[in-house]
Amino acid sequence: MASRLGSLPPQLASTSLHHHRHHLRPPQCSGQASLSWRRAVAPAQLELISVSTSPGKIPKPFSTTAVATSLSQGTPVRPTSILVVGATGTLGRQVVRRALDEGYDVRCLVRPRPAPADFLRDWGATVVNGDLSKPETIPATLVGVHTVIDCATGRPEEPIGTVDWEGKVALIQCAKAMGIQKYVFYSIHNCDKHPEVPLMEIKHCTEKFLQDSGLNYLIIRLCGFMQGLIGQYAVPILEEKSVWGTDAPTRIAYMDTQDVSRLTFIAMRNEKINKELLTFAGPRAWTTQEVITLCERLAGQDANVTTVPVSILKFTRQLTRLFQWTNDVADRLAFSEVLSSDIVFSVPMAETYNLLGVDQKDIVTLERYLQDYFTNILKKLKDLKAQSKQTDIFL
Amino acid sequence: MALRQIYHLETGLRPSSSSSLVGIPVLNPGRLRFKPSPALPLARPRSELGGSEEQGKAEKGDGDAKKGRRKEGVTLDDVNPVGLGRRSRQIFDEVWRKFSGLGQISRSLTDDDDGLLLIRGPMCEFTVPEAQDTTVLVVGATSRIGRIVVRKLMLRGYKVKALVRKADPEVIDMLPRSVSIVVGDVGEPSTLRAAVQGCNKIIYCATARSAITGDLNRVDYQGVCNVTKAFQDYNNQLAQLRAGKSSKSKLLLAKFKSAESLEGWEVRKGTYFQDVVAAKYDGGMDAKFEFTETGDAVFSGYVFTRGGYVELSKKFSLPLGSTLDRYDGLLLSVGGNGKSYILILETGPLADTSQSKLYFARINTKVGFCRVRVPFSSFRPVKPDDPPLDPFLVHTLTIRFEPRRQKLVEAPGANKQDPRSFKLIMEYIKALPAGIETDFILVSCTGSGIESSRRDQVLKAKKAGEDALRRSGLGYTIIRPGPLQEEPGGQRALIFDQGNRISQGISCADVADICVKALHDSTARNKSFDVCYEYVAEQGNELYELVAHLPDKANNYLTPALSVLEKNT
Repeated sequence: MASRLGSLPPQLASTSLHHHRHHLRPPQCSGQASLSWRRAVAPAQLELISVSTSPGKIPKPFSTTAVATSLSQGTPVRPTSILVVGATGTLGRQVVRRALDEGYDVRCLVRPRPAPADFLRDWGATVVNGDLSKPETIPATLVGVHTVIDCATGRPEEPIGTVDWEGKVALIQCAKAMGIQKYVFYSIHNCDKHPEVPLMEIKHCTEKFLQDSGLNYLIIRLCGFMQGLIGQYAVPILEEKSVWGTDAPTRIAYMDTQDVSRLTFIAMRNEKINKELLTFAGPRAWTTQEVITLCERLAGQDANVTTVPVSILKFTRQLTRLFQWTNDVADRLAFSEVLSSDIVFSVPMAETYNLLGVDQKDIVTLERYLQDYFTNILKKLKDLKAQSKQTDIFL
Repeated sequence: MALRQIYHLETGLRPSSSSSLVGIPVLNPGRLRFKPSPALPLARPRSELGGSEEQGKAEKGDGDAKKGRRKEGVTLDDVNPVGLGRRSRQIFDEVWRKFSGLGQISRSLTDDDDGLLLIRGPMCEFTVPEAQDTTVLVVGATSRIGRIVVRKLMLRGYKVKALVRKADPEVIDMLPRSVSIVVGDVGEPSTLRAAVQGCNKIIYCATARSAITGDLNRVDYQGVCNVTKAFQDYNNQLAQLRAGKSSKSKLLLAKFKSAESLEGWEVRKGTYFQDVVAAKYDGGMDAKFEFTETGDAVFSGYVFTRGGYVELSKKFSLPLGSTLDRYDGLLLSVGGNGKSYILILETGPLADTSQSKLYFARINTKVGFCRVRVPFSSFRPVKPDDPPLDPFLVHTLTIRFEPRRQKLVEAPGANKQDPRSFKLIMEYIKALPAGIETDFILVSCTGSGIESSRRDQVLKAKKAGEDALRRSGLGYTIIRPGPLQEEPGGQRALIFDQGNRISQGISCADVADICVKALHDSTARNKSFDVCYEYVAEQGNELYELVAHLPDKANNYLTPALSVLEKNT
């Protein structure tokens, strides 16, 4: 088995790389996209078959499943062992925390870096080093794992395809080959409707790739995180820095990542929810302007709002697309295309709540979330003031 | 401008320092933050404030970029071309970051973006306010339940100490890194002293690794004894250090060590019947309280009268500042020779004893000396209409002997004792300090799911351990889970019950959750209970219904579940 696994990674790497060259040429129509991922799947399956038939069996079309079962039978895994990919991210850390609290044994796949993610270890998770952009590091991390929860997304500063496409393809193929029982993947709401945005297109392609992989999967599409609003609006308002917003009419139903992770685990354990695509959205959809107004009200002070028209964003994107060296920048600005439409990033959740057996009252609203934040932060500032009364009286 | 200044007056902080102190995200300072320079309005002396109104307005509208530029030409340093270039680049980066940020839907936060408030602070759903000041010792931190307990404690911000037998690398890797590890063995009392040092609470989830009697005895019985003893020793040491002022120290009500100490105690006789005729024909009664030559204070006598009793009573003179409402019950050290006595507490205004209310509790003694704990909650009013006992109002304690309802005790010499005579040797009476929370949580077992050949031995050891804990004087919580299952917690409703009626299993994570919740739950103190998953009866086979509780984030299921259960069982 070890030798089989050992022979996997280079092949996986080559297929995904091979694919990548054809794939990332924005803007693509969805037809082309689906073609290109099919081309990626085909060689990958071939590789797996050749691996499985090395003892001398006759190749059968469905031998990939045979590999998966035989491997999973060899090592019985506990249903409480999970691997979280992207555990240091906004959502990932909440997923890890919730999992630990519910009694799972959590393994976190973390990129080797000089300042390691200490908080994960402090909470009691096991941290393993691996990098999705280096497929040879993946198989070892999957040994003895029952469920993979994938919350990884590339950082803004790196080329968008490395983690989000090549890494994911390698991870899914590896999970399949090693008989992982369930694969939970976080995607973006409406990602099938905006193939012009590279990140969304990649997410959509990954969804399709996962659906065709034969794994037991759960895809969760998300709209926006409340946690992101703190850094974007709440902190600048408190620090009296300028807040940048757009005049876009887009509405996003923000959700607390703690709720996302809670619902994820409920859905994950539900035997009935298998090979399904769920969308999680917050209780209400907000525009940028509404969020800023809410923050101003709760903080008790006005914000310096710098409003950038969406047209400027779009123009900048067009401009940066002209040069090859600014292509990454263009990719990152691609959401301006989405923003300019008055799309609402939200879905009615009643059915999902029903399916999961969750009460809507338990889902945090943005008002309550921000209220909590400002109450706590203002109290903290007050405490600090009390402490430093003697020295800072002048200010 | 006025607004901003007021804000800073309120907070007493510069914007830059506020963020680093509070833990609001401080992004890469080199990239986007302007260094506070004397030219910035925030650091200006107060006298200038009035005149800067207009300037401020203009600035507010323009935002950060202009602020940077306004600094030019103030000092020679600021016109330095290198500095200028660097600063303009910073400004450009900042603007660009914000600008490109607008074009994104999902933002990936930098590492410290969530800050203290969101990860460990009040914004985290797991944080428990009391956790910061509480150190918990987890005994058996690598067991199935212990592992999860440690993680849950860490998530909630407790300081955790873990007792492990050997500091092997794989053991240490299993535990979170900020857990402080103490090497020791529950079978070796000397190794436990360091472990309990500085701990407020103990969670004991170690179990014997085999069903060999020696192993069982060592971990499940002796282990509990040793740990409770070490913990009590530590508490006593604290109590001594604080010269009896510690909340852990008992209050001495009476100590009978000399003839003088008997002063104030009155011996009285009485009957329940006003039947004068009957009294004439029986043997009467007598009692005395005296200090013997052997150094014992002895209350002895006989009661032959039908319905008669003798009693020993004293008005308390409590030390200044201490009242009995801060105490939980009475502790008597007596040699009662197996007789039972009645304790009576009298409450009400001292001046007018006719308004007094009487409360009684029956105590049983053993052959030889024994310590009897009588919680105030076990006192019942003599008149059923009276309100429950309020320890604050207690002024008199009475010990009464009556021949009624005496058990016939086989004395060692096989000569039958007369149930109508008695001899009570008194050593001391103390008030037990009240504790609101539990000090020691013991995970025991119900016995179901153990192979039947060893069940008795296992249960015997566990029971012995439980008894040792109950006798220790610590606030205890004993959890007896059904057969443990390796499942995620919070999935199914739980049943809390007392009295060996449960049949289902339970996940390790749920047991761990109960342990952690019980730490600060006053209803969990001094309780033993069984817990398991809800029994789902087949249609038509429902026998009885127990109240089930579903563990969830929003509801605290433990308090209502435990408040109906009995204490001190």
